[in-house]
Amino acid sequence: MATSTIDEAAAPTPTEEPLLDVGLLKEVGRKALVDALNSVNGAKTLVLDASLAGPLGLVIEVSLLKHHGVDKMFWLEPGPLSSTTTNIVYLCRPRIKYVKIIADQIKRHGKEAQKYTYTLLLVPRISTLVSRILEEEGVLGDVRISSYNLQFIPIADDVISLENENAFKEIWVDGDETVIYDSAQALLTLEKLYGLFPRIVGKGDQAARLANLLTRHYLPSDSTTPDTLLTQSEKIDSLIVLDRRVDMITPLLTQLTYEGLIDELVGIKNSHVELPVSLLTPPAPMGVASTSAEPTPGAPTLKKVEAKKKHHLTTSTDPLFAELRDLNFSSVGKRLNKVARRLEEDYKGRHQAKTVAQLRDFVGKLGGLQTDHQSLRLHTGLSELLVPLTRTDQFNKTLEIQQNLLASYEVPAQITAIEDLLAQGADMQTILRLLCLASITAGGIKLKSLENLKREILQAYGYNHLPLLLSLSAPPLAVLLPNPLPPALASDPSAKYPFSPLRKSLRLLIDDSPEALDEVENDISFVYSGYAPISVRLVQCVAQKGGVLSNPAEKEKEKEKDKQGSSIKAQAHPIAGWRGFEDLVATIPGETVDIVQNGPNGGSAVAAPMASLLRPMHKPTTTVVFFLGGCTYTEIAALRWVGRQNRGRKFLIATTGIINGNTLFESISSVPKPTQAGSKDAAI
Amino acid sequence: MAAERPSSKWQIMQDGKTFYKRQQLYSIPGKLPNLSDYIVAGCRYGGPIALMRDHTKLVALGRTTPAITKAQIQIYSPAGEGLLLFSWDQGKIIRFGWTSDERLAILNEEGTYRLYDLQGDYQQYSLGSEAGEMGVIDARIHENGLVALTGSLSLLEVKGWEGSRPLTLANPTLSQPPNSWAVIPPDVNISRHVEVLLSVDSTIFTVDNLESIDQRLSQGPFTHVSPSPNGKSLALLTFSGTLLVVSSDFQRTLAEFKTGDVVGAEGAVHQVEWCGIDAILVTWDNLVVVVGPFGDTLEYYYSGPTFAVTEPDGVRIVGPDVCDLIQKVPSSSASIFRPGSTSASAILYDAWESFSQRSPKADENIRSIRPELAAAVDECIEAAGEEWEPYWQRRLLNAAKFGRGFLDLHNPTDFINMGQTLKVLNAVRFYEIGIPLTHLQYIYTSPAHLITRLTARNMHLLALRISTYLSIKPDAVLKHWASAKIMRSRPSATGTGAEADLGGDEDVCKLIVDKFEQLGGADVSYAEIAKRAWEVGRGGLATKLLDHEPRASDQVPLLLTMKEDRLALVKAVDSGDTDLVYHVLLHLHKRLPLGSFFRLIEDGGSQLAPASKLLQVYAREQNREMLRDFFYSDDRRVESAVLSLDEAAGILDPNSKITTVRAAQKFFSEDKDRGFESKMMDESARLLAYQQQLEKESDGKIVFFGLSVNETLRMCLVNNLSKKADKVKSDFKVPDKRFWYVKLQALISTSDFEALDTFSKSKRSPIGYEPFVHHLVEAGHPREAIPYVLRCDSPKRADLYVECGEWRMAGKECKERGDKAKLDAIRQKCPNSLIAREFDQILASMK
Repeated sequence: MATSTIDEAAAPTPTEEPLLDVGLLKEVGRKALVDALNSVNGAKTLVLDASLAGPLGLVIEVSLLKHHGVDKMFWLEPGPLSSTTTNIVYLCRPRIKYVKIIADQIKRHGKEAQKYTYTLLLVPRISTLVSRILEEEGVLGDVRISSYNLQFIPIADDVISLENENAFKEIWVDGDETVIYDSAQALLTLEKLYGLFPRIVGKGDQAARLANLLTRHYLPSDSTTPDTLLTQSEKIDSLIVLDRRVDMITPLLTQLTYEGLIDELVGIKNSHVELPVSLLTPPAPMGVASTSAEPTPGAPTLKKVEAKKKHHLTTSTDPLFAELRDLNFSSVGKRLNKVARRLEEDYKGRHQAKTVAQLRDFVGKLGGLQTDHQSLRLHTGLSELLVPLTRTDQFNKTLEIQQNLLASYEVPAQITAIEDLLAQGADMQTILRLLCLASITAGGIKLKSLENLKREILQAYGYNHLPLLLSLSAPPLAVLLPNPLPPALASDPSAKYPFSPLRKSLRLLIDDSPEALDEVENDISFVYSGYAPISVRLVQCVAQKGGVLSNPAEKEKEKEKDKQGSSIKAQAHPIAGWRGFEDLVATIPGETVDIVQNGPNGGSAVAAPMASLLRPMHKPTTTVVFFLGGCTYTEIAALRWVGRQNRGRKFLIATTGIINGNTLFESISSVPKPTQAGSKDAAI
Repeated sequence: MAAERPSSKWQIMQDGKTFYKRQQLYSIPGKLPNLSDYIVAGCRYGGPIALMRDHTKLVALGRTTPAITKAQIQIYSPAGEGLLLFSWDQGKIIRFGWTSDERLAILNEEGTYRLYDLQGDYQQYSLGSEAGEMGVIDARIHENGLVALTGSLSLLEVKGWEGSRPLTLANPTLSQPPNSWAVIPPDVNISRHVEVLLSVDSTIFTVDNLESIDQRLSQGPFTHVSPSPNGKSLALLTFSGTLLVVSSDFQRTLAEFKTGDVVGAEGAVHQVEWCGIDAILVTWDNLVVVVGPFGDTLEYYYSGPTFAVTEPDGVRIVGPDVCDLIQKVPSSSASIFRPGSTSASAILYDAWESFSQRSPKADENIRSIRPELAAAVDECIEAAGEEWEPYWQRRLLNAAKFGRGFLDLHNPTDFINMGQTLKVLNAVRFYEIGIPLTHLQYIYTSPAHLITRLTARNMHLLALRISTYLSIKPDAVLKHWASAKIMRSRPSATGTGAEADLGGDEDVCKLIVDKFEQLGGADVSYAEIAKRAWEVGRGGLATKLLDHEPRASDQVPLLLTMKEDRLALVKAVDSGDTDLVYHVLLHLHKRLPLGSFFRLIEDGGSQLAPASKLLQVYAREQNREMLRDFFYSDDRRVESAVLSLDEAAGILDPNSKITTVRAAQKFFSEDKDRGFESKMMDESARLLAYQQQLEKESDGKIVFFGLSVNETLRMCLVNNLSKKADKVKSDFKVPDKRFWYVKLQALISTSDFEALDTFSKSKRSPIGYEPFVHHLVEAGHPREAIPYVLRCDSPKRADLYVECGEWRMAGKECKERGDKAKLDAIRQKCPNSLIAREFDQILASMK
């Protein structure tokens, strides 16, 4: 592969120092499950909570499950369960509805005088609630309750996720802090592997809560404490915790990177995307042009009769994806073209093969070429699938409204435009995303038009969405507010988001002027075609202070430098908390966190920050960024970009799950989506 | 000092190779009652013995022991010191035995069992209702569990001593109780599960949790079944007095021996126990016989009835006057002290003796064993560990030290460890302590185990000294000490003088905390000690101690039992562990009246807000009634309304659904800030009612109920009920724009182009006519879309024509408007050359 042709904006640079090996976490997860399964003797029937199937699929293969005695797998669904083995193993998250189903099935078996041994594996830990409900249902005595501690799952080399879809809703709508506790436990596991985070920097009330839990957790010299929890980590220089409430704007916007756009328009679930089969299976005769899978332009919707298949989007089998995923969609076509040319040239190599040895060389390369070919075909097809979707009026209107709102340009006109979209029958999620965006950026919507819009929404999509609207406007979420604020909220500082000052101080918006376009490519704002996500700017405030401030002129100079010696990048500066940005960060609602963790073996409190400053400059470190409440693909892309700007610092992105605006509102909305009739047999 | 060599007390088996020794551990004349009148259970590893009067035996009245009708259990140390005496007030005792941590497990016929520690405190568990009904007729207690035989002749197994649920083993289908039976404990069995051996008729059944197997023996029935300490062999005694030794898989018979042939054996055999793994000890009233692997015997006579306890490395015999340990002489001792031994270690020992007598023979001896000296030193160290008398221990260690001097390199660790160990062992063997632990047993059970045994006897000082001496953390000792301290300093029952008492809460707490800090017991869980304090009724002290506990998960359960509800909840919330919060909430919900439960949470304010939220999450799924009450009691109108709506979503019956929505509306209307929501719910209810009416009018053919306003409109339009649609529009004040879009889409979906035309002409379109074109094209009716293009703004017409596929008209349009640029642009996109040519013509004509 001619990696030299790929410009550094997208290619992972394999020559650089390796990141923390996140495969370790996968191994831990896999082993824990195998152990849990082996604790039940003999063949067993596995009953799986469907929401776990995705995450589990990233950790373990079905064949391995079979190898460890799993005879059959079923979804955990209401209704009778028939099993051919005497052992039944339930694997689910400790949700009340699941437990009720389980209790029901056990009682049914009891009535039918069928005898089974039941094991309930709870993810990630045993819960009193579950045993209480089983007790109330009168089946506690029949079940052995155990846990399967599934924590961070690596979904890319530099991304680990708890894969909890409902984290945001649970924290900010239900007020259920379980996710925070689980996150703290998962981060603690990281600490156990790599040592204490020397510094924890964070923003947001819940982030503060998490940091508090995390720092409180170690106890002085417990005999069971592993050594790693006693000393600062060598490999990690800090943990940056951001809770989603700190930056609600980013997920509301339409993601414009390749991977982000796939997520927006097709939907990525647990790194899997559902695609038409024709895209995934290579066509029978080799050499058929990759355009064969081109969808007819007249049918822009994806809902075709064609059978769909799940495809795992991963860079490990699909190197092309690594090149493409973080590109702004507008440059994906160009890149694909380039790759196609390269591939063609490689194929042409066979004509130059004169001697037998050369031919043998070529044949040796052929396998790789075919893989490349197939992945090129897939991505060409996929982008062709996306293009018509990005050409619709609605899509472009939505983008326009977003950009205008971000620029605070004629807000009332944007409200009217949102109303028009609604009248045209746009998705409720689209409308709500725009509306919340308007509310946050403009500091509320005029009461009259807000009520009118709410009424329109309820009429158009059903009155049963009223609770959703209420949740959105109630604290602590408060993303859909009237202006002026109602008296109950007026005193709540979290209700006012200082967007306009931030736009200036954090350089959120890059102008559309032609000379600024260059800059867009030289800044994280490429992910939204000119808008920089606040969350990533905040990370820059900690880990790449220059990136926040630099004006285009300085950038120019830097570029000059880059040209002189593109391999020499600025050395990443050591982590010094929010220094330099304290005032700015203070204006954002939510607590600010900056904790230095020494560990009991770490010397005095005064010496430690100095020590972290005196860390050998050349030593590469990793900064862990944890998004509490989920992050978007664009944020990941932006952080990868930041990571490439400096030498000596890599980012490890940890999150409770991958979100976008649509999934966010879907999870908050209590209205159940019509469930697809799935087969009872489970599959991972 | 008596310098009688240890070997002088050895006895040799008939085979002339194996030595056995009887080591007198303690002399206990008159300290124990006559064992033949008692049922006895002995604890391994030099543990105590428990005695209970055997009511099947006649007792002559007027003896020193008073006649007691009630069952009474006495516990003696091996040195004959009474450790504990308590009476049993429960049902008839079936069996008692010792656990691995030196607690006495007592099982009665009702299936209840208690675990007594050496202080007389106990935990009580039950085998469950089944065992209670059927009754328990017999049981076998091993160190890590028990197996009970119920009245219905089925077997129940209990694993561990934490009161776990009994498991039913495979049913051996017996018709009568077995002649005798035994269990092989799980830790020595190959399958790692308990195995029960039942002597039935002439054979033996082996039973585990999966199956019951008849081993098809013919020699039975057996009076004694005894598995060896390593579980590999079985000793079986037939009624006729033949002792059989078989492998535990019954594949091989290892030995056979007729006990009737033993000289002096009178009456029935008392016990068949193992001595090591290759010899069996058979006891009669006054006689103890060791039977070797080849039928060789050694006889030991006692003055009265004895009781034998199998140890891992021998067997302990408690007789009327003495407590003895019979064991095979360990190879190291044998190699040094065996008469005529010429092993290197024997010569080394000899050399040292010569040396200490200043004899030059020493040097000669050492020279002769030079190559094997290291091994000899090791053997001397090992042999020191086997000796009971400090005199011989010292001599052997000295010999080892002497030998070391001639070695260039020798790792002294073993030597030092042995010295330390012997010091500890000698201390605990002292008769006042009374733990006759051998070196092997000590290594086997670990020093920590020894320390817990000492603390269980309340010998804290010795335990602390030993743990300091061995550099073991003193936590366990301190914890036990603190508990004992609390127990002892129990304030007087009257309570009034408690403050003035020495055991005042403040003092005791300070005493304990000081001691912990002084001795570095940082890891001791204060919660456990506080729990102890609470159990003995010292709540105040418990609270004080709990303040020192850093772990919330330990604090909270105790706070709950202490009924410190608020504090427990606050600590739980603080810990961030939602499961802990649930634990407290569910517990409180069960215990407190609902009103005070709610008040507790509401009064907590923001501090307890997370708890309140969690309660709502739980109740929404599991207990809606409670949630309703909760919201109601707190005047939370909005939440009440949302809850109603949530319910309404699940209701299918139209009337009750409307009622529920109305209820929600009422809740909203009670909150003055929720006028908008109230109005919306009013609309919702009205819509539902109207939908109901619509369904009735359509004879239920069309489903309206539960649709949104837009969908209702669409449904009306699709079904030719445009009057109704108009009514919905005006009733719900649907804005024109939205209505037009809905109607447009509805009419197109039914391909009713005539109606669409009328509609488009009904008034000037508020949405313009472009959407008409777009939607028609999208729905696949480009032909029908053409007329509408004319009504759009002229600059857009050309593109719209293109959209309809009418290139010619697009060209014409451009020409009319003289828009060359547009024409050019469209030409670029032309689908075929025919049209392109036409465009070229138009372009040309425009020039």
